[in-house]
Amino acid sequence: MKVKGYITGSGCISPQNTTEKDYFFENVNGPEVDFFKAIEPSYKEHINSNLLRRMGRAIKMGVSAARIAMTEAGIENVDAIISGTGLGCFEDTEKFLLAIINNDETLLTPTSFIQSTHNTVGSQVALIMKCHGYNYTYAHRGFSFDTCVMDALMNLEEGKNNILIGGIEEHTPNYVEIFRKGKKLNDNNSNKYFEGKTSGIQLGEGTTFFVLSNEKKNAVAAIDGVAFLYKPQSAKEVADKANSFLKTHNISLENIDLVLFGFSGDKEFDKYLLEMLPSTSKNSATAQFKHLSGEYYTANAFAIWTANKIIENQKIPDVIRINSVSKSNINLILIVNGFQGINYSFTLITKC
Amino acid sequence: MISAIGNNVSEAYVNLSNAKTGIGKVNYLNTRYKDEFVLGEVKLSNEQLMDLISYHSPALNRTSLLGIAAANEAVKHSGIDLKDGLRTGLISSTTVGGMCKTELFYGEMVNEGKHLEVLDSHDAGESTEEIADHLGIKDFVTTISTACSSAANAIMLGSRMIKHGMLDRVIVGGVDSLSKFTFNGFNTLMILDKEWCKPFDENRKGLNLGEAGAYLVIESETSLKKRNGKALAKVVGYANSNDAYHQTASSPDGIGATTAIQQALKMSGLAPSQIDYINMHGTGTPNNDQSESKATINVFGNNVPKFSSTKAYTGHTLAAAAGVEAVISVLSLQHNKIFPNLNFTTPINEFGLVPVTKVTDQNLNHVLSNSFGFGGNCSSLIFRIVNEG
Repeated sequence: MKVKGYITGSGCISPQNTTEKDYFFENVNGPEVDFFKAIEPSYKEHINSNLLRRMGRAIKMGVSAARIAMTEAGIENVDAIISGTGLGCFEDTEKFLLAIINNDETLLTPTSFIQSTHNTVGSQVALIMKCHGYNYTYAHRGFSFDTCVMDALMNLEEGKNNILIGGIEEHTPNYVEIFRKGKKLNDNNSNKYFEGKTSGIQLGEGTTFFVLSNEKKNAVAAIDGVAFLYKPQSAKEVADKANSFLKTHNISLENIDLVLFGFSGDKEFDKYLLEMLPSTSKNSATAQFKHLSGEYYTANAFAIWTANKIIENQKIPDVIRINSVSKSNINLILIVNGFQGINYSFTLITKC
Repeated sequence: MISAIGNNVSEAYVNLSNAKTGIGKVNYLNTRYKDEFVLGEVKLSNEQLMDLISYHSPALNRTSLLGIAAANEAVKHSGIDLKDGLRTGLISSTTVGGMCKTELFYGEMVNEGKHLEVLDSHDAGESTEEIADHLGIKDFVTTISTACSSAANAIMLGSRMIKHGMLDRVIVGGVDSLSKFTFNGFNTLMILDKEWCKPFDENRKGLNLGEAGAYLVIESETSLKKRNGKALAKVVGYANSNDAYHQTASSPDGIGATTAIQQALKMSGLAPSQIDYINMHGTGTPNNDQSESKATINVFGNNVPKFSSTKAYTGHTLAAAAGVEAVISVLSLQHNKIFPNLNFTTPINEFGLVPVTKVTDQNLNHVLSNSFGFGGNCSSLIFRIVNEG
């Protein structure tokens, strides 16, 4: 892809105080025991109260994050809305499902079914701003949000001007409990670094939207590209893919100022990324983000939000740092994300 | 393709040519309403589906089984060699994903902590990855979930990725199995007909749900030349627009649908008069058929091409629907044959549009296929016949 997607607006709802103006990890929250719940903003600031009453939690988070991003970009409408979510609106899905199970398919009302489909957030955002443009929703595990980025860059190359993209994930107490009983959760119970010694993921949730534009405007950073790797068999395959991806942008790994790793907290899932870490840490600053966002299908959107803030502030917060390599200028950031050892992605963020 | 009208494309062609529906009595979906409604079920149990794909794994849910069966056939039929080093992607789509299985166990999962592993196969990506792994596809995989327009959007993304030079070929389509979840959802919305659906009829009462897996292989010209392959049809136009009217209903003036059809036409460079046949979304609900008729008139005026909805054969197969209808559109082009709109007697008063009601032999060069969904997602595709030689 020849184009860049300039980040002209962003809105992030996460377990950290990311909806506060100019927040930059000055203070950080830890998980509630073994789950990193998103801190929800005051929705009334972003959504009409008549609409708000009927909306499920994922929709409220999605519509608010989209609104924050649009306000920051200073625009009223976009040419395309592209959303990514692994589970869709799970709260409504579960509500309708349990009603079917508990009442043996009787006494059902359609509201939660209507709101359960994966594309609900994308369509609600379109509905509110009366956007008749391109509207897609991707629902593919750890690739859900990354495919949005790819599609947005394709759309910009095809001549569109402003694209709204978002990664949305909500989890319910039952969902967390099923993970807990399945012994899949990291009980580290803190916001400490993952050092590749623990088992189980640090489950989290969150919703992040961006406006990607074909012009720089107020942007400090741009997304230059994204690459995917499905079910690699070795750490070498992951490193090779990172190198070949960077090569298509005429960059080598040594030139990267900061590599942001998506360690999940589970040493088995993280093993290929952990193997990449020592060689990467020689020349580049290294950091990680899921100890602050938690692991979820669209956590990479939180990483891009973080990378954008790092470029804006020209500083790597200590709370995410892995090594101590210092860089006087932070121009190039590579995000290396892994999801359950299945879906790996590489995102290049550059200062503009 | 696997659907209510057959376990493969040849069987479907025979049934379409004989105007024979696959919708009938419920045999497999274990709902309390099974004696009251008709459904477009695939006529195989999960065990028989495993026999069909020669792969027995208790972990596979019905969605994955249907997906593997259909994608296998598409790849075999295309003649591509997945091991020849070219970049191959899989873009699938689903709305229900693993819900067909989750709904059987979720109560016990939540209350008793049993069957916890079922949650691993619940999400929409599961069936896509099962298909990818079965075929050995690694270069690119993703899943689209835009309700009933999903597979059209998979075809569109695949075409764009080929155009951008990101892939040499891509398997595109969708899959949904029947579940109590979707059945009850549509039932509470009161848009199901208990009898056979009657698309575009004044007295239509609603849709029949169905299940299917349907995939197509899209190749770049370079890839085709390299293996000396022949294409059946070419995707010459596509567009996606949002109605932005209501979460589940289509606008009475058909804005989203009109825009999608107009933009697809614009891209193809065709005049409306060059569309020989429209395979409509035509679900049989009062709302969809009204809105789609309006959009058709908005675009084609008094010269509406021959059209039919094939939903009365297969049922509405949700995410798979546009895949099923793309396969049917290509069959129409290949055989110069329009498959009729079943169960139609009376035109909708407001429009007076009459679909094709008999199997009709006619020279076809361009077919338009529409797919619309919840959330206002509207997509239109235009296929052109590729003549040999």
